[in-house]
Amino acid sequence: MDQEKLYTLLAREMAGLLTEDEAVDLQQLLQQYPDASYIREVFAQNWVPAGKQYTGSQVQQLLEKHQLRMETLTEAPVIEVPAKRRIWGWYAGIAASVLVLLAVGAWWWHSSPSEKPAPLAQMVTEKRMRSQVLLPDGTRVWLNAGSKLDYPKQFAAHTPREVTLEGEAFFVVTADAERPFRVHTKTFQVRVLGTSFNIRAYPQEDSAVTSLVQGAVEVVLKNADNQVVSLKPNEKLTVPVLQVAAETHTVAAPAPMVIYKSKLSPVQDSVLTETAWVQNKLAFKHLELEKVAVMLEEWYGVEIGFKDNRKKQLYFSGVFESESLEQVLNALETTLSFTWHKDAAGKIWIQ
Amino acid sequence: MRENEQIKLLFHGICYENNIQAYNELYVSLCARLIHFSASIVSSFHLAEEIVSDVFLTLWQKRNDLLHVQNPVVYLYVSTKNLSLNTLQQQKRHQHHSLDDINTDILAIAPDAENGMVSAEVSQKIERAIRCLPARCQLIFRLIKQDRLSYREVAELLNISTKTVDAQLTIAVKKISQAIRFDLSDETAQTYLRIDS
Repeated sequence: MDQEKLYTLLAREMAGLLTEDEAVDLQQLLQQYPDASYIREVFAQNWVPAGKQYTGSQVQQLLEKHQLRMETLTEAPVIEVPAKRRIWGWYAGIAASVLVLLAVGAWWWHSSPSEKPAPLAQMVTEKRMRSQVLLPDGTRVWLNAGSKLDYPKQFAAHTPREVTLEGEAFFVVTADAERPFRVHTKTFQVRVLGTSFNIRAYPQEDSAVTSLVQGAVEVVLKNADNQVVSLKPNEKLTVPVLQVAAETHTVAAPAPMVIYKSKLSPVQDSVLTETAWVQNKLAFKHLELEKVAVMLEEWYGVEIGFKDNRKKQLYFSGVFESESLEQVLNALETTLSFTWHKDAAGKIWIQ
Repeated sequence: MRENEQIKLLFHGICYENNIQAYNELYVSLCARLIHFSASIVSSFHLAEEIVSDVFLTLWQKRNDLLHVQNPVVYLYVSTKNLSLNTLQQQKRHQHHSLDDINTDILAIAPDAENGMVSAEVSQKIERAIRCLPARCQLIFRLIKQDRLSYREVAELLNISTKTVDAQLTIAVKKISQAIRFDLSDETAQTYLRIDS
């Protein structure tokens, strides 16, 4: 009986869904059946197909073949699809999408990396617009609203990969030990190997934040004698932005910078407030209504004002995905701590 | 489940942003698994490669209609299953095909003997034990161990309950364990305990 349970628990462990209680049971059973530890180890190993296996280069060939089919499909006169080739005949019903594919195909070939020496490229997002770019090294970058990313069209060999960010972006960096990845902002520089992290460095905000989801990064502070701070997964570093004052006459000792590390804030299963925007979600946790309002302004492109300044200090948590601005405000309003209305000019007022 | 999240992001990039790079990445990360799955149904790697290529073509063509897809991995496996069964049906008319007739030779997996932990002999024993399992059980074991699907995903794909998946996987683990001489009776176990203490 116990053995049956042991098998079940080993099976569930392999599938990655052992509960905490079951993990305790498994530990006990493993003490009872010492041999089972070996079995467990065997299941934890990497297994491979006993027969045919596809290597990395074969997969690449498959992709090329697939791309070729995609192209052939777009060029083939649809009406003359030979009926005897059943696999191809299946395409007959999809004539309508041929044009789309043609356009995509053309774009695809034009955007393939060229041999020419590559100058800088720039990606800019307007308000309410978010966008995604794949850098030439395979690194993926999500760019939040009102942001700007400068990057070379081609990264040189054996030299660090350097990009410059103004605004907010989430990076999933392709590992390359030979060419560390560096993100420059006005306030700091972030050095990484392969990893995923978020940087928020809007020029109009009074602090800049690096949030690490996975991997390891080092943040080099520009205004603190190039002090280096290392981050572990689920940590973020908030750095105040020294506003370069317009008045140049006083060089009084600047207010001491308060740089602090904190934990990332999960609001729901796998939703982090720091990176929710990447998945088109608006998330905040225990955040002052004043800052929530700023997020809503950015997200929905509206203006929000307070008629009662005390309301700015109310705290809210929430995750929204497809809700309209009105739905979000109504949801927050159900806490009965404030009311809102829209004036004739479309501006939202909270009181 | 980092991998699953990555796949969801790629799928999102395809459906919402028509991102062809994400599409290529998705193809690279899933094609081998899907081809093996398809080949177990149609008994031909050559045909399976075409089928999976077709599945991805459809994905690109219908990408803007797929915004509701909750689980891209399940979607792609189900598409592969359906197209594989349809292809068989067309080839051998008037015959009913189901996942019960799968070619299990294609599904066999075993620990990688090259990493030192498991000897070639043990690896062969395991492979033999797996080949002795019922076809459906082999498929479930493969989908979970090798393709890293969850119970729920396998249940959805094969139209069975997660309980059945659990039971089938337990059988597989039991048979494999027994094949590598894990058949300690309670009595022997007690001896071990006494030695320990």
